[in-house]
Amino acid sequence: MDAQETQDLDPVTFEVLKNSFITAVDQMAEQMLRTCYSFVIYNRDFSNALHDAEGNCIAQGNADIAVHVGTLHYTCKDVIRVFRDDMHPGDVYAINDPYAGGTHFSDVRLIRPIFDGDVLVGFSQSNGHWSDLGGSVPGSFNVAAHEMFGEAVRITPVRLFHKGRYCSDVANMIAANTRDPGSIIGDIQSQAQATQVAEREVLRLIEKYGRDQVLQGMREVQDYVERSVRQRISDLPDGTWASVDYIDRDPGAGEGMIPIHIRMTIKGDRITYDFAGSHPTISSIYNSADGATFSAVVAGMKTFFPDLPLNSGFYRMVEIDAPADSVVSAKWPVAVTGFLMPFEKIMNTIFEMWSVIVPERAIACAFNLEYLLAGGNDLRKPEKPIYMFYEWLPGGWGGRNGKDGSDVTTACFGTGLMSQPSEGNERVNPTRADEFQIMRDSPGPGKWRGGAGVIKASTLLEADNTVISYICDRERAVVWGVEGGLPSMPHGLEIEHSETGEKMWLGSVFSNYRIKSGDRFTRPTAGGGGYGDPLERDPAHVLEDVIDDYVSVERAEKDYGVVIRVIDADMLDYEVDSAATEAARSEIRANRVGWARMDPSAVSQMYKDGEINELDAVRRYAVILDWGTGELMERSTAQFRETFERRSIAHWS
Amino acid sequence: MPSTRVAVDVGGTFTDVCIMDEDTGQIRIEKTPSTPDDPMRAIITGIDDAGVNLADVTMFSHGTTVATNALITRKLPRTAMVCTEGFRDVVEIRRSNKEDLWDTYKDVAKPYIPRRDRLTVPERIDAAGKVLADLDEDEARRVAGILKRRGVEAVAVCFINAYVNGQNERRMKEILQEVMPNVHISISSQIMPEIFEHERFSTTMVNAVVSPVVVDYVSRLSDKLRDGGYGRDLLLLHSGGGVMTPASVKDFAARLAGSGIAAGAIASRFIGNLCGYRNSIGFDMGGTSTDVSLAFEGESTVTKDWFIEFGYPIRFPSIEVLTIGAGGGSLAWRDEGGSLRNGPQSAGAHPGPACYSNGNEVATNSDANVVLGRLGTSLAGGDITLDPALAEKAVRETVAVPFGMELHEAAEAIIDVANANMANAVRLLSISRGHDPRDFALVAFGGAGALHGAAVARELSIPVVIVPPNPGVTSAMGCLLVDIQHDFSDSFMADAATTAPEDLEAAFAKIEAEALERLRHEDVAPENTVLQRSVEMMYMGQWRSLAVTAPARITSTEDLVASFHSQHEREYNFRREEAPVSIFRVGVKATGVVPKAELPSYEVRPQTPEAKGPREVWFGGAPLTASVYERSDLGAGAAFTGPAIVEQLDSTVVVPPGAVATVDTYLNIVIKVEG
Repeated sequence: MDAQETQDLDPVTFEVLKNSFITAVDQMAEQMLRTCYSFVIYNRDFSNALHDAEGNCIAQGNADIAVHVGTLHYTCKDVIRVFRDDMHPGDVYAINDPYAGGTHFSDVRLIRPIFDGDVLVGFSQSNGHWSDLGGSVPGSFNVAAHEMFGEAVRITPVRLFHKGRYCSDVANMIAANTRDPGSIIGDIQSQAQATQVAEREVLRLIEKYGRDQVLQGMREVQDYVERSVRQRISDLPDGTWASVDYIDRDPGAGEGMIPIHIRMTIKGDRITYDFAGSHPTISSIYNSADGATFSAVVAGMKTFFPDLPLNSGFYRMVEIDAPADSVVSAKWPVAVTGFLMPFEKIMNTIFEMWSVIVPERAIACAFNLEYLLAGGNDLRKPEKPIYMFYEWLPGGWGGRNGKDGSDVTTACFGTGLMSQPSEGNERVNPTRADEFQIMRDSPGPGKWRGGAGVIKASTLLEADNTVISYICDRERAVVWGVEGGLPSMPHGLEIEHSETGEKMWLGSVFSNYRIKSGDRFTRPTAGGGGYGDPLERDPAHVLEDVIDDYVSVERAEKDYGVVIRVIDADMLDYEVDSAATEAARSEIRANRVGWARMDPSAVSQMYKDGEINELDAVRRYAVILDWGTGELMERSTAQFRETFERRSIAHWS
Repeated sequence: MPSTRVAVDVGGTFTDVCIMDEDTGQIRIEKTPSTPDDPMRAIITGIDDAGVNLADVTMFSHGTTVATNALITRKLPRTAMVCTEGFRDVVEIRRSNKEDLWDTYKDVAKPYIPRRDRLTVPERIDAAGKVLADLDEDEARRVAGILKRRGVEAVAVCFINAYVNGQNERRMKEILQEVMPNVHISISSQIMPEIFEHERFSTTMVNAVVSPVVVDYVSRLSDKLRDGGYGRDLLLLHSGGGVMTPASVKDFAARLAGSGIAAGAIASRFIGNLCGYRNSIGFDMGGTSTDVSLAFEGESTVTKDWFIEFGYPIRFPSIEVLTIGAGGGSLAWRDEGGSLRNGPQSAGAHPGPACYSNGNEVATNSDANVVLGRLGTSLAGGDITLDPALAEKAVRETVAVPFGMELHEAAEAIIDVANANMANAVRLLSISRGHDPRDFALVAFGGAGALHGAAVARELSIPVVIVPPNPGVTSAMGCLLVDIQHDFSDSFMADAATTAPEDLEAAFAKIEAEALERLRHEDVAPENTVLQRSVEMMYMGQWRSLAVTAPARITSTEDLVASFHSQHEREYNFRREEAPVSIFRVGVKATGVVPKAELPSYEVRPQTPEAKGPREVWFGGAPLTASVYERSDLGAGAAFTGPAIVEQLDSTVVVPPGAVATVDTYLNIVIKVEG
């Protein structure tokens, strides 16, 4: 190290550079939001970063989607690996490779080297979720894929601009492999411009502060974050914490949930996450490659350090061990487009472990991300009949220590993501929303209940050849409570065929299901898991929830043992029957452990007979069934009960 | 007594009454402590203290925080919403995003209307405007009956797709009016007829909840003024930068949200224009925060993406103001990573900076300015005395010792970080929108604006800083400088290539008729009526539109498309000549021009002003001898160079070394900071 590198910047220059790096990436975000084409980007599924000349991340945008955190430096480094000796001012490269640290094919990153004169000083990167990247399913989410070949176009590092000249041959080749080439070219322009915004800012800083100081600042902002994280970690007690969460199934294997084990160790100022015991890759797209797994760990941890800026100084602090070829360390060509499923499991498990260490920020499990994809011919528009869309819904987040969970919020993988308006969807696609509102009784019961989920029901209008696919999870690994709190409810989609009037449960994952005009599809999203024993919830809070219709009078009694009398619903006049409440609570207290250990096949029978519903099954009896037929999922139930014992029963008095 | 104009700006601490003599243009200011429980009291006190005879007043305009405060404090009358069956929760589902992405304990506030008071009725319009189901009138009456029993004071009616067809909403309103004749009713198809249910419902909800509050306030104030002899309409400043009369407040109460903040931007634009700078940046720095605004080619930039509370957009056009947590009272601190930070925490008005001697011991920007000699120790004409020893102690303990710096070095470090943060805010509003700061003037006002303005300008390469005569009360002046203004818009979703000029003319004819009717309603004479058209467009497939100015008579759609390409290139640095362009919306800004009084001007006599004394002031790590001037001694034509300090009742102006200051004909100090 020469003298230049060891000498600290003065505090003012340091603070100014640090904030200016962040302002530069915020300016990139502003540019993208205003010029993007893909609706997914418009709804804020994007991120931007500045990198040093080695590809390390210096700053990431304040409002960037969580899921990209901790992956941008990998893709930048892969671009460097490929173009190392052949980079020029005015170049822009593209990459979307999940096997090189990217997330999934839909997230396409444009990377621009920044030169001061002929010296490479850093990179700017703009990453956006494009609406389509080809493959056999509209939107490039092919649930049935086992390998990437049926999923989408894989872009290993390519050159999109060469010394400022737009390489239309490469851009067109990529666009030609998608369902929406015009928009793809538009997004390339939008993102390439965003990277230029950051280049301009870095060069301005160099002009003002000199190259050496700016490069020094790039190093120091990383050191600064590392120092802050180390400080906080060394303030925590040493120890080891472990937990497990599950993906619902491996469609290529029998019934039984797919475990992801995490063991976290804090020692001094170091922290490691060991995934030993996690399941091998599965035969669906619900696998995660190394980069995405790393991102999930960082995103989960960052939730407990919300004020710290994100850059490679943070990332250096995190060490990960994962068994080879597991569901969290998939390699080419295993399909990984559904990586968000393991991602959210990792994130929630990290929530659970950190909740013990930092109880003032404790939080139970959040609902699971879900996507509905549809495509076909819109008979209302003979001139442009092909349509495709996908939409995602918000749901509830977990109950907290001293606070109910956050109601109707975007999935935890990306809290910046916005939900879509029904009016926009109805205008563009042949569907009509019949209902889109809060789902009564979806919050997981607890002393502090989970946040509420929603329900959306839509009818297909005049359309031909329409197929729908659904990407979700936690139909079996149901959203769980902690500290004695209860689960929410199973995810899954139900279809009602207009010709026969028949209703069918299609569950949380299926692809290319054919539907006809007039068919109606309905899906709820779960609420968050409950925090703390629901029998300890203040009856006055339960009463308020009933008045607002988050909780029904019936479930107030079943889940909370709070008996509420309706005096005049129109006037919102309800009251708690204290004597009956006391009686109901003692009855539940006396029996609940027995219910939760009851013979699962007897529970299955009660469900088949219509005596209990799915909320009773998961909250009271801790049993996982095929929610359509009522058949018992024996292995899944055993796995679910094991965690229920630990997260709920063990905390009941 | 000569005719006068009165403008009142109600702030959190003070209510400023600004009185202008119509003949001479002379302005005087009466400052009165605000009375937040009923802001009207301070207004009346101020008028009385200033000796204004309301019978002589020809124009009374008012920027009010009543709507904003009601929303922030949630002191709102019970309000209900009636929605389409199945869509009770649009305003609670929102877009489901969070303001703070990472803090899981920080929630978005609940909607202004709680779930229990959101009821539904069967009805449905489809995306093309076809009625799929008429309003179920029996249910509508039942719902109206329930709301009547509950005693709600206002109702928002929000139906899906009402932006294309408001028929069912209008029928619902009639039924509600039959049952509850005295209740305020806002319907989404009238308030904000644009696509996307949450944004429309939210705007309508805000309008409904503030209606009773605002209408009551405005009618009480109107009555009071009329009793005092004022014979014209009370004019109320709205977020869009114009004023409206009580007749319109009844229908568009939510336009008054953000009223207070617009005044500073208007004043700044006006002063910039007055000095010949049609591009200007307003830099209004107070005790706890700084408001930044921008005027380009003489017009304030306007946004439709704003809110009082995150998650509840108000889609009425609003002057764009970026507020950041940096002010005179912002605290300097060292974080755990060892970085020197500035704000957003503030010592506020109480206890205030350390030098106020009220118990705060942490260094603030004001303390650093005292240590550097930039801020004198006697303020407000001697009413406030600052203690330099306490300022030194705070700077020493908070920054100098922890960072191993000399005292003055530490003070300068505090100021430099604050200035850089503020410069970054200006960058977000200017550079990231394609504006080059070198083409702008910075108008520095507010209590602390002129202390920091020159340094911020230098940081951004802005060549000129303008300090108006009364920086501390500039916002009140903004209220004097306004026209009656309303904004109307309508959806117009079409491919530009297949849109004939006649189609656009037909769309404009509809909203222009509405606009003219509105101005007639406000007694604007036809010769004072101005309509400005705009067309919002985007490249087909994009998600955000750009508003392009359209001529009063459209003869060619291609010309509009050409303007769009140019504007897209200016703002975003690229154009796609070959890509199809779509039209999203048409809009009309309807202005009823209010004759402006002239500000007083003075003969410019080049002169070297006399300093009231020298003072040691630190710049760039060295103590320099600066001349200290009294603002009232500086006549038009006075010229001096930095380092210099100008002191006045409500502000202090810093002229850094190398900068040249001159006093113009309106007594603005114009500082050329280059060099």
